[in-house]
Amino acid sequence: MVERFTSDPIELPPADRPFQRSDLLFYGLDHSGASFEARVFMDPRGVGGEADSRHRAYVGSFFILGHGGCFGDVGHCDIPTDRDPFDLRPAHQLEPALRILTVTDAVRNLLERKVEAAKVTVTAHTAARTPSDVLAFERIRLATYA
Amino acid sequence: MSPASTPGPTQAPHALRHRRSARRLTTGQLADLRAAITATQRIGDDRGFQHWAGIHGLPLPISCVHHRELFLPWHRAYLYLFEKALQDHVPGVTLPWWDWTAEHAEGIPSAYSKRKANGRRNPLFDSPIQPSGRAVPSQTRTTRAPGAPGFLPSPGEVERVLKNRDFFTFQTQLESIHDGVHVWTGGTMADIATAAYDPLFWAHHSMIDRLWYLWQLRHPGAGVPAPLLDRALAPFPMTVRDTIEITQLGYDYAASTAAVKGPGHG
Repeated sequence: MVERFTSDPIELPPADRPFQRSDLLFYGLDHSGASFEARVFMDPRGVGGEADSRHRAYVGSFFILGHGGCFGDVGHCDIPTDRDPFDLRPAHQLEPALRILTVTDAVRNLLERKVEAAKVTVTAHTAARTPSDVLAFERIRLATYA
Repeated sequence: MSPASTPGPTQAPHALRHRRSARRLTTGQLADLRAAITATQRIGDDRGFQHWAGIHGLPLPISCVHHRELFLPWHRAYLYLFEKALQDHVPGVTLPWWDWTAEHAEGIPSAYSKRKANGRRNPLFDSPIQPSGRAVPSQTRTTRAPGAPGFLPSPGEVERVLKNRDFFTFQTQLESIHDGVHVWTGGTMADIATAAYDPLFWAHHSMIDRLWYLWQLRHPGAGVPAPLLDRALAPFPMTVRDTIEITQLGYDYAASTAAVKGPGHG
């Protein structure tokens, strides 16, 4: 778990190919701990320091309502790695989440600046006095739709 | 909007009940809501407020569905059945919705933010938490730590989400807004395990349910994908299909309502 993450550069769509919409998809998000706001920035060099929503690279936020910890015995909050195809029970409560952030204007602005790839920086913000190292996810995808 | 549900062949038409904006409740409607909540708080069995709040979170099992494909249907069933429990005490009472997009000046509606109502404890301000529902032993009552009202979701943000035609994208983006309001409210509302003990939870989720309803009206051909329709919404005796049409559940959403008597049949 981390408080801040900056990705490798993610390729933007070709500037000469028009699109209607662009989404950043965050796969495999952990939601077992404290609730948080994730502020997202897109910039060719990444974003450091105490950037907030007024930063020019800020593209939006997504939110996670967290479980706030584990209230069971040992193993209660372990997500099963193998699932029997005949197991009709609901999925484990902590199966990872997906968030979709629409970033159409931000991608257009980057393309107008001749940017071909941008790093995605994500910073987690929790309630006061709550540790902010709550960020864990598997993958970011940038999808554009014609 | 149809003012009444479509009657079955042997059914007389029933008037729908309206869920109303929490800011626009009449004095009588607000008194009814408070009376219903108070009545369920006095019941210690599976008809009571504590039981219903506990279904969402603690005590285990935590049954709510978050961050998965049944988020909206599960919570629609949950609200419907809790509202039925309230109506067992005050017939006709409905859950109001908290329009956080329109309340940037005051944040939490005054019906829920005032500690006292008519000289007595306001049952919408907070709630006890049963011992088995506490995340920590000292958490005997619900609390809030709201952010600045200006950080609540804006009408523009909601409008962008409502434009989605795909159900899963709509639901995922709406859930993020929903999560943000939980985080904004803070305190008990900020954790899945305890959120439903706060009476404000029900008004917040009524707003989420209303937005799903508005999305359904706007995109009539883009509903819940067929493979999900027969999925059960445990622990409730309902499937996803049962939640699709709110008029079949007997309610509708209205900003406000007013009524006058007709001439009668005498």
